[in-house]
Amino acid sequence: MNPEASQSLARRQMLRYGGFGLGSIALQNLLQAEGGVGGPSGYPHAPPKAKSVIWLFMRGGLSHMESFDPKPALNQYQGKSIDETPYADVLNPDRFKDLRVVVVNDANGKQRTKIYPLQVGAKRYGQSGAEVSDWFPHIGSCVDDLSIIRSMWTTDNNHGAQVQFHSGRHMLDPRVPTIGAWIHYGLGSLNDSLPQFITMGSRFFDVRDGHYLGPAHDAVSLKVDPENPLAFAKPEEAIAERDQRLGFGLVNRLNRLTAEKFPHDPVLEARIKSYELAYRMQTAVPEVINFDGESEATKKLYGLDQKETKPFGEQLLAARRFVEKGTRFIQIMHGTGAAGSWDQHSKLKEKHSELSMQVDRPVAGLLKDLKQRGLLDETIVVFATEFGRSPGSQGSDGRDHHPFGFSVWMAGGGIKGGVVHGATDELGFHATEDPHYVTDVHATIMKQLGLDARRLEVPGHKRLDMDFGEPIKEIIA
Amino acid sequence: MNSVLIVLTALIFSMAESNAAEAEDYLKEIKPVLQKRCYACHGALKQEKNLRLDTARQIIDSGIIESGELLKRLTSTDPETRMPQEAEALHAEEIEAIRSWIKNGMPAPVGELPEDDPASHWAFQRIEKPSLPPGGGAGNPIDAFLAVKHGEMGLKTQGEAERSLLLRRLYLDLTGLPPTKEQLTTSTPFESIVQELLASPQYGERWGRHWMDIWRYSDWYGLGKQLRNSQKHLWHWRDWIVNSLNTDKGYDRMIMEMIAGDELEPENPEVLAATGFLARNYYLFNRTTWLDDTIEHTSKAFLGLTMNCAKCHDHKYDPIEQTDYYRLRAIFEPHQVRLDAIAGEPDFEKNGLPRAFDDHPEAETQLHIRGNPATPDSEIKITAGVPILFAGFAPATKPVELPPYAWAPGTREYVQRDQLAAAKANLEGAKKALAKTQEKVANAAKSSEQTAGGEAITLKDTFDRKQPDLWTISGTGWTYNKGILIQTVPSQDKQFVRSKKSHPSDFDLTVDFRTTGGDNYKSVGIRFDVSDEGRSAHTVYASAHEAGPKVQISHTIDSKSSYPGGGKSAQPIRINEDYQLHVQVRGTLINVSLNGKFLLAYDLPNRNPGRLIELFAFDATAEFDSIEVVPLAPEITLKESGTPAQKTLDPMEELKLSRARLEEAELGVRVVEARILADKATLFGEGNGSPEEAARLELEHAVALASIGVLTAEAGKLEAAGKTLKSAEKAIGKSDAKYSPVRGSFKALETPEHKEPDYAATYAKTSTGRRLAFAQWITSRDNPLTARVAVNHLWLRHFGEPLVETVFDFGRQAPLPEHAALLDYLAVELIDSGWSMKHLHELMVTSAAWRRSSSNLDADPDTREKDTGNQFYWRMNPRRMESEVIRDSLTHLAGELDLTMGGPSVSPSQNTRRRSIYFKHSRDEKGQLLSRFDDADILACYRRSESIVPQQALALSNSSISIFMSKRVYTLFYEEEVERKFAEQVFEHILCRKPTSPELDACEDFLEDLKSESTQADSRIRLVHSLFNHNDFITIR
Repeated sequence: MNPEASQSLARRQMLRYGGFGLGSIALQNLLQAEGGVGGPSGYPHAPPKAKSVIWLFMRGGLSHMESFDPKPALNQYQGKSIDETPYADVLNPDRFKDLRVVVVNDANGKQRTKIYPLQVGAKRYGQSGAEVSDWFPHIGSCVDDLSIIRSMWTTDNNHGAQVQFHSGRHMLDPRVPTIGAWIHYGLGSLNDSLPQFITMGSRFFDVRDGHYLGPAHDAVSLKVDPENPLAFAKPEEAIAERDQRLGFGLVNRLNRLTAEKFPHDPVLEARIKSYELAYRMQTAVPEVINFDGESEATKKLYGLDQKETKPFGEQLLAARRFVEKGTRFIQIMHGTGAAGSWDQHSKLKEKHSELSMQVDRPVAGLLKDLKQRGLLDETIVVFATEFGRSPGSQGSDGRDHHPFGFSVWMAGGGIKGGVVHGATDELGFHATEDPHYVTDVHATIMKQLGLDARRLEVPGHKRLDMDFGEPIKEIIA
Repeated sequence: MNSVLIVLTALIFSMAESNAAEAEDYLKEIKPVLQKRCYACHGALKQEKNLRLDTARQIIDSGIIESGELLKRLTSTDPETRMPQEAEALHAEEIEAIRSWIKNGMPAPVGELPEDDPASHWAFQRIEKPSLPPGGGAGNPIDAFLAVKHGEMGLKTQGEAERSLLLRRLYLDLTGLPPTKEQLTTSTPFESIVQELLASPQYGERWGRHWMDIWRYSDWYGLGKQLRNSQKHLWHWRDWIVNSLNTDKGYDRMIMEMIAGDELEPENPEVLAATGFLARNYYLFNRTTWLDDTIEHTSKAFLGLTMNCAKCHDHKYDPIEQTDYYRLRAIFEPHQVRLDAIAGEPDFEKNGLPRAFDDHPEAETQLHIRGNPATPDSEIKITAGVPILFAGFAPATKPVELPPYAWAPGTREYVQRDQLAAAKANLEGAKKALAKTQEKVANAAKSSEQTAGGEAITLKDTFDRKQPDLWTISGTGWTYNKGILIQTVPSQDKQFVRSKKSHPSDFDLTVDFRTTGGDNYKSVGIRFDVSDEGRSAHTVYASAHEAGPKVQISHTIDSKSSYPGGGKSAQPIRINEDYQLHVQVRGTLINVSLNGKFLLAYDLPNRNPGRLIELFAFDATAEFDSIEVVPLAPEITLKESGTPAQKTLDPMEELKLSRARLEEAELGVRVVEARILADKATLFGEGNGSPEEAARLELEHAVALASIGVLTAEAGKLEAAGKTLKSAEKAIGKSDAKYSPVRGSFKALETPEHKEPDYAATYAKTSTGRRLAFAQWITSRDNPLTARVAVNHLWLRHFGEPLVETVFDFGRQAPLPEHAALLDYLAVELIDSGWSMKHLHELMVTSAAWRRSSSNLDADPDTREKDTGNQFYWRMNPRRMESEVIRDSLTHLAGELDLTMGGPSVSPSQNTRRRSIYFKHSRDEKGQLLSRFDDADILACYRRSESIVPQQALALSNSSISIFMSKRVYTLFYEEEVERKFAEQVFEHILCRKPTSPELDACEDFLEDLKSESTQADSRIRLVHSLFNHNDFITIR
């Protein structure tokens, strides 16, 4: 099909999906919008099922067995060496051939063979009866809205796997754009007054997203602080609102006069537009993270009433408000430090229970809130981590990194509810049934957003099949 | 070019006279697919299984259609047999097209020619100087070549830009700083100004930053103190770049020094600094990644070759084999990086020269099957060498015998001198400390407490009453009660009591307080260096956080706080216990004690201009009894940063410790002296130094150190310290002890398991010479790529567009450029001028092409229509300034730019006034303003982006630096009384052109509008601020 035809088709389809309120196209990079340089049109390639993504990432490595893939066999064989169980074959060296080690001889990221029992119980929830650990009772109560994927795998046995989960490429490969950057690059804006790709929480390994797509596609870093939500969101020294408004007016008037002297300059046109947007953005962003208009019930839903759940809850509430106002991709990192808080080489029970308490209620609150507002249909929520944790114990009370099998879940935006897809073996060691590499999650999101990643490729930057992944069709409604 | 034309003509003719219509499907639907998916293995580049698919005739003649093999292979579901291998299958409609072509009888276009020989690719041919077009001899050759195209196309060029804009363009292009009014109004001829600017030191800074992009400059980064990437003190290389450009060192020589400076001039630090280019690629965790980066970016930067595409398999587009990749790796295999000592600084943390050297000349290289280091190919022997395609002019590799300083850096005079001096200074310190302790012990009996009388008290409050003249109170919960200042409401919001008076720069502060409760962090303390708006400060506080109580020094710059590990002391801070926090600051050195116990000596990263004091409680309730701030008495010596926290000692113990320290220091001097002599004897057979004597002294010294360890051990660590001492004492008797030679360098760890002391102090005496031979090959007159790639980079940065679009790939993916003759002409100019960049700059900026107006105004409509994209340079391209130029210009126009050159990288704070090139630039540190405007990606930046996003508008309108600089510019012109004239002056100052009358009207209207509610000064500042937000401020017109 020729590109113009497909574009106008997309435009017609967008009109039909009028509820999505497409404001304009790809204004993140205005020059692109003005046709100054090549790039995608900003329209989806196919009718979209979803318009936004909320990406929740547990940094450090959440134990899959103690969250969304409970394994009773671990209790049965606790204290035994894996060799002594019927599942000795999980240690077959052939099954580790995909592993790529960054830090040679590292103390972590080893095969732990002494089976460590589950540190928490699990229950079946909802009509689907999917099992979820007792550390996540609130998320458990939403299980009929989730597709749990229990068969993820990755290739990095260290925390560089965070980069891998976001970009699809291992730490030892050159850096490539992250999933958020691709979506930002491929899709137009839904609200010109708001940044379209936001990141909250701390990052460590790779703080850029755009890479060869350019810095304009890096996430905008944001704090839930109406006074100072993002860099330069308001004048760093007091300037009266009126003075500033008049100042923007003068800039606009002078730039338009310049256009007479330098006509047909797409850059100048884009610059004028960017000032109009900036002026709106500096009121729009603080407004979104001001929760005064939210009811007490809503605040409570997100756990804002408890100090443990408040910090993450605020970020999630902000995320909902951004989605509501038309931000495309919001990525929220949970866990501090270089490795990430979820990295329990020791004290797994103590720390995992503490951390899960911080996220469980807010995440469930987000899902319920999105649902009650009718936003869940068009918003994909992803709950992920870079890898799982080892079925065997590390030290007396911890688990090691585990890239061979782990869980993530997705919800909303045309993702089926109440689905458990894929499986690890009885010990939770390898992804055995319908294994998925991390980019399959990306491909699923892209598909729901109506994007064809292969049509976004940039000349000179060849992508491999593995970079694209395959949509997980079993979880798509 | 000609051959291409002939082929095209032949094709067109043959099609016209035969089965054009039927063959059209093949040409349109099939050939492009085959080209993209199959030619890499079955075309001119490679002929796997002797099969070529690059003409229809060859496909038909091969018999694969007849045998059904073609369709079978394309549609197979078995990955072993399906074509293309290791890649996505052809799409269904593509296969369908092939099917129907076969069905139609496989009509082949007559005269279809096979792919050209890959070696005949334009960029792989030796660069020959094209003759100038007829009549082009007199003027600038650039214009002569372009004029030919303009003539052919019938394009009409724009005239020269107005002089002030032209000068601004020139200043920004060559120095990165806009011209002043005097510089704009001078009548000096343009050509002379060009000479002047090329001779100015700011030229090297401007173009240094460009080359730092291409050569991937990055300051070191890692995790905490652990160095993982690049090298400390890499600024030596940055300074080398700037200096090399300023002295117009030949580009060929620059390349040689960067790749092989250590083999070229092994003892010359000025040359060794260039190898920072290699040191930058250092990566602690993985040698293959390190070398991959080295190979990829050396090839891209200098040769425009994507060697990285040949790491796992033969190159898919260029005639480069996988073995070529590993031959290149073998060139770099022996090298490692180290810091060499710099005269006058024995501490490698503070300074050192990062440099490359051949550490393992014998190291072998193996080809990794499919690029996987876990599967080396033992069948193939890899020898160092350049890609075979270009090996014809490769010089022979000659090993380089190194002089002593290169392989035994510890024998350099200044290294010995500095280490001895450091040991002696330590001894002097120990002597003084002993005398002081003795005095203290003597006085201890005499008096209990003597307060220093007559000292100028700067700020003192015992909180008997509220004193609004002294303090500003902010936040809720503050009350005064019976001589106590109380914070009753725990909050994470900013709540503070801020002084109205400034504190002295060097001061001595004492505050008495109790933490009475709180939620989580329970932090109570003081801030100093607080700026008026409170956005920057240093903080010292005690946190009763249950998870980790501590005393901490933290820094807040532009409202961003950091909590350095070195500024932390874990302490059991308790609720409702009385604490006296004592803070002493001199320059950037800060000492902190709690209840008389010394805890921290730390170097502040900077001193903020603010000088206010704050008392605060964060997430805590607290009671303050008193605060006193006095100037720091000059006679007080502060402890140097890194001094370990003090254990509480009684006077007699302290005396014992001081004596032990003295003994240790005395031995320390003797150890260094003995080492120097022993080195001479063992390495060069000179003098009567004894390695045994040196070893014995080292053991004695170890005992002395261990004794101090016992005296200062904290409770719980005493036993371990005792053990250390015992084993040190036991070691003295051993006869086989080896001494440690003087260390004149610090080798970067090859892997995290290694420890620096395990590395030898001397290195291989011979360097392989591989890198030198490689550099000579890159810079050979016969190398077809080097000069072309360099000229393209220069052109891009002067004209806004490159001559070859893919600036890092001149391989077969890069088609013959439109201005190929011009490119070659300039490349030869570069070579023939002795690789002088300044010569090229001059040629470019004095061309009529470069001097043209960038405006479309009054352009010939036909020209605009034919060449909207300005591919033929009939006008100049306007460009957006790079981020550094924006910040530097802003600061420079305000008269605030500090033009100091060189030295260690500085923190990228908005308060810093140095040029942006000197800002720390790494994964973890970069200027916030800079990053808004597409600063360099440290991983790869062959060409800057010029994005336009609203965040840029926010940065220029809201950043404190743009607001501050607007005020400064106002003060330069404030004496002008007439508003319109003021507007005219600042307009011209910032935009370098006279405003038009409507533009002046706009400015005047603005001032008039503001008048009602603002002072004249404020209105004028807002005007200046708006002009800094003008599109043409950040545009090079």
